[in-house]
Amino acid sequence: MKQGELRRALLFVILFCIFLFFYLYWQQSTKYIPTVIYGYKHVKANHRSSSPPQWTWDCVNQRCERRFIKEPVKAVSLPTCSMLCGSTQLWPQPTGPVTLGSKALKFNHNQFIFETEIAGPVKAYLEEAFTSFNNNIVSLIERTDYTKDKTDLSEFLIKVTIQNPTIVKLELKTDESYNLIIKSLKDTIRANITANTYFGARCALETLSQLIWWDPYSNGGGMLKVIKGATVQDKPAFAYRGLMIDTSRNFMSIESLKRVLVGMASNKLNVFHWHVSDSQSFPLVIPSLPLMAKTGSYGPEMTYSPEEVKGLVEFARIRGIRVLLEVDTPAHVGNGWAWGPTEGLGELAVCINERPWSMYCGEPPCGQLNPENPHVYDILEKLYKDLLDLSGETEIFHLGGDEVNLECWSQHIQRTSTVYNYTDLHELWGDFTIKALNRLTAANGGTKFPYVILWSSKLTKRPYLMKYLDKNQVVVQNWGASQWSDTPDLLSDGYKVIISHVDAWYLDCGFGRWRETGEAACDPYRPWQTVYNHRPWQQQHLDKKLILGGEACLWSEQFDEGSLDARLWPRAAAFAERMWNDPQLDMNTFGIQEDVYTRLNTQRDRYVF
Amino acid sequence: MFDGTIWFLIIGLTIVHGSNWVWQCEDGYCKRESGQTERDGYSALKLCQLVCSNYLNIWPYPTGAVKSSKELVNINTKSIIFHYNGPTETVAYLTEITKYFEGHLKKDEPFSCEENLYNLKITFTPLCKEITSNLETNESYTLTLDSIGNEVNVNIIAPTVFGVRHGLETLSQILVSHNDDGSKCLSTLSNVQITDQPKYPHRGLLIDTARNYLSVDTIKKQIDGMAASKLNVLHWHLTDSQSFPFVSVRLPNMTKYGAYSSKKIYTPENIKDLIQYAEYRGIRIIIEIDGPSHAGMGWQWGPEAGLGDLAVCINKQPWRSFCVQPPCGQLNPVNEKLYIILRNLYSDITDISPDRRMFHMGGDEVFIPCWNSTPEILKHLRGKPLNEKTYLDLWAGYQRKNLDAYDTAIGHKNTSIVVWTSHLTQPEFIKNYLPNDRYIIQTWVPESDNDLITDLIKLGYKLIVSTKDRWYLDHGFWGTTNYYKWKTVYENPIYEKYTKAILGGEVCMWGELVDDSNIDSRIWPRAAAAAERMWSDPVTTADYAQTRFFAHRERLIERKISAEAVVPQWCAENEGECHSYL
Repeated sequence: MKQGELRRALLFVILFCIFLFFYLYWQQSTKYIPTVIYGYKHVKANHRSSSPPQWTWDCVNQRCERRFIKEPVKAVSLPTCSMLCGSTQLWPQPTGPVTLGSKALKFNHNQFIFETEIAGPVKAYLEEAFTSFNNNIVSLIERTDYTKDKTDLSEFLIKVTIQNPTIVKLELKTDESYNLIIKSLKDTIRANITANTYFGARCALETLSQLIWWDPYSNGGGMLKVIKGATVQDKPAFAYRGLMIDTSRNFMSIESLKRVLVGMASNKLNVFHWHVSDSQSFPLVIPSLPLMAKTGSYGPEMTYSPEEVKGLVEFARIRGIRVLLEVDTPAHVGNGWAWGPTEGLGELAVCINERPWSMYCGEPPCGQLNPENPHVYDILEKLYKDLLDLSGETEIFHLGGDEVNLECWSQHIQRTSTVYNYTDLHELWGDFTIKALNRLTAANGGTKFPYVILWSSKLTKRPYLMKYLDKNQVVVQNWGASQWSDTPDLLSDGYKVIISHVDAWYLDCGFGRWRETGEAACDPYRPWQTVYNHRPWQQQHLDKKLILGGEACLWSEQFDEGSLDARLWPRAAAFAERMWNDPQLDMNTFGIQEDVYTRLNTQRDRYVF
Repeated sequence: MFDGTIWFLIIGLTIVHGSNWVWQCEDGYCKRESGQTERDGYSALKLCQLVCSNYLNIWPYPTGAVKSSKELVNINTKSIIFHYNGPTETVAYLTEITKYFEGHLKKDEPFSCEENLYNLKITFTPLCKEITSNLETNESYTLTLDSIGNEVNVNIIAPTVFGVRHGLETLSQILVSHNDDGSKCLSTLSNVQITDQPKYPHRGLLIDTARNYLSVDTIKKQIDGMAASKLNVLHWHLTDSQSFPFVSVRLPNMTKYGAYSSKKIYTPENIKDLIQYAEYRGIRIIIEIDGPSHAGMGWQWGPEAGLGDLAVCINKQPWRSFCVQPPCGQLNPVNEKLYIILRNLYSDITDISPDRRMFHMGGDEVFIPCWNSTPEILKHLRGKPLNEKTYLDLWAGYQRKNLDAYDTAIGHKNTSIVVWTSHLTQPEFIKNYLPNDRYIIQTWVPESDNDLITDLIKLGYKLIVSTKDRWYLDHGFWGTTNYYKWKTVYENPIYEKYTKAILGGEVCMWGELVDDSNIDSRIWPRAAAAAERMWSDPVTTADYAQTRFFAHRERLIERKISAEAVVPQWCAENEGECHSYL
């Protein structure tokens, strides 16, 4: 090799190194470009459709009116008209001031640039949040070739600033507020998000995604659009905004539960209360007690493995949702608890499958834990330890505790007569609850758990309430009828409550009456207007201070995952706005503002593909 | 009865490890037991049910004799032979239903059962050559299944291919695929004899594609559910005041002005495809173009085309003063050009399906105050007293010309026209206006108004019954209406004494609150409960049908129809344990 050639090669290497240096230098700047592989999940066509639109929508008095296109005019699609016609299309409606621009800009999703200066654990979450934001937008796209079209923007910058980037766990006191400002600068859009916590920032991304829509008329085949200029200040009215799903009466796959979580995230609900087991089946694999799912599930393929549960918990956390795992006790047990005798532990549960069922339980099959068997409490401790581990929850635990049938115990106790000194079996129930709570403390490493939720029952009423339940720890989930005195009584006794009134927020009802009659009857269907218009603190003049929030419940006796989505949405969205925004109720007319109808329709269209 | 040298394999009766449960047949119920116990049991509930349940678990149950052995045999799924033993005209039809049948079996592939397999030979013997069906079509069949040597021979003999199809559907219900100790098997009983025929010739489901659009695939799914339940009429409420999705080749303005969008339409090809799809599943599609009421979107273009108002009161507000449901709209009976338009519309419909013997003209909920507030109509009525009779005459005049338009379009007067009960069909008026040799009346009155049914029968009308407070599947989600659970749907009595005048019935799925995303679960499995009412007309209660019904729901799920769960799975798996519950 000649000397000159070597010199040239060295020079080339040096130049390359300089280039690399500059490249890496720029790479370490604040710009974060996510390594997302953009996928089109729901794209209906690759190309624009040839048929011209037939309808145009005019904004008249803050209402979009449909008109037939007679002469060639610039047609306005319904989504574009709604977005720019008076009311916001945000759901749930923000609680703070909102200003929206009256113009829209075309863009495509390749123009997104995510930027944040956050380091540490929250950064990873934020990356996931960006991905899920991006997926939400991509799901709106109806043709893949739209990226080739001209847009109004050169870039769409989303900048997130979080004051408190160390908080990665949602708690009741977590600040979920946020500020969102969308500005148009030259040929760019800048969306600035500021929030105290990741959870606020994530909510802001949801709001931002709702200011973006697919305009099917744009460019003859549809384009993404964003509102040109907006400011939103927002924070929730309630800290606990829950949704309960029952996977025991009928099994739901992990995939279907993930869909529920996606829907919750888009409606800013933040607690997924998973009623995982009941007397009918026990699908949750408890690592320390494998016999429970083995003997209690509908089949080996109808179980939830620890990995699946942990994956779901993580999936939820990214979406600002905590998961509460409820294994209901001492009633609502049966399948999954029958293995005691063969393992030499005696009967863990009594009255299993006892007939006639109507004597011993609320619905077949019967079963209730055996409060006399000391092994039961050892098993509970193991169970609680695993539940805490699976859910990663350190603040709230759901103990169940509803519908104890004393007839079941009294029959059993008469037979064994070891615990005969209870004249009032409510006390046996109370003692069971105290023991269970002690085991929870033990499972929690000896520290008392901050909040324990119990379903409302006889035990959460006087006189048992004060005797057995500590108001500094116990939170009562009120599922009785809204006209019952339970809620005001508990509040006046200083207990914290979560409201799930059966006559408003039981979404499973209305598919053939069964069980209860009267006010608590699970009939008729609760249409979204009933769900939305339930505001007991106003209707009954209750003090909101001790009301942590509410929870809509979906028991699964009469549906399974095939109709899960339709049972839940859009009614759970109506509930979500009650929880987040808590709009005033017109006590004279009980009318619902017109904008609620259009906003809810828009929200429904967002997740129907 | 059987040759001593033939030994029957009792399969499924093995202890199955790895699976949680096995089932025992006790007192006519399949009882679930832990798979860890020592006792033998059936490895799958549906296998137990085939042996244990009434009517071999068939839905709807056969009305004739059902005889069978208790032994199970395994089918060699690689060796299924079909033999067509009928008029050549029927071969194409039989080939199609064979494909459809195989589709159901193949979905469970791969089968891995290896030992003691029986080859399956299925012989179809239709006696007539007809391949289109109508009210007179004989849908009966006999099915015999014998096991000889290493062969299972199935013979389905029926007067028509439609009977053969029903027989094949029955056969598919007694072929059970299941996991047996790790291998996948297809099993059936070793010996079966069934004779069967429906009680009512018109067993329908109504779908409404005007309030919300339904995709062609969604409609096909409903047809699949109907075929599984032996329903035979899909009543297609194609248009209404909200939208007009039917593409009329002669009148392109109808969809241009009436469809929700250029994608939410049905082209003639779509409809032909659906008619064909349905026919191979034993179902005829009856199209309804509702009028004079329930017409609005799609009819606005008259003035521009110089034809005057084809419809009046379109979108008029406040809607409560001009119609029953927004948006308002009612055809303009005094505009003679309307009837030319109707004739063209009907020509497009009869082009698609020239041999239909039944057509639905709607005719419900005519709202007199609409006509009564339209100057053009008032002018026309000048000199006449503005009373009930004048308006009924006007309405009936419309109906007469409407019928002429249809007859002209199709070129004969043999089509039976169905109309909904209305003011015009009141017993005191109907004779004057609607001849009973042309019109079939579809009643939608609640059970408490069954006198109307008696009266109309006395006047010589044939009826289709859609008891509103049992068979309106949209109820329970709006106003003060109630949801009808499957038992309520099942126990709707169609009166035995009127069998001949009552052609059958229809469950109705009005479309205000359903679309592609939730219609399956609203219709199914409840429509199947109605199907047994119309096919078998049982004297027994829903409780007696319960375990079979739950099994049929599972069958619908297997056929990719998102039928609603009606009880916790525990109740379906523990027969007899959930009585008086749900």
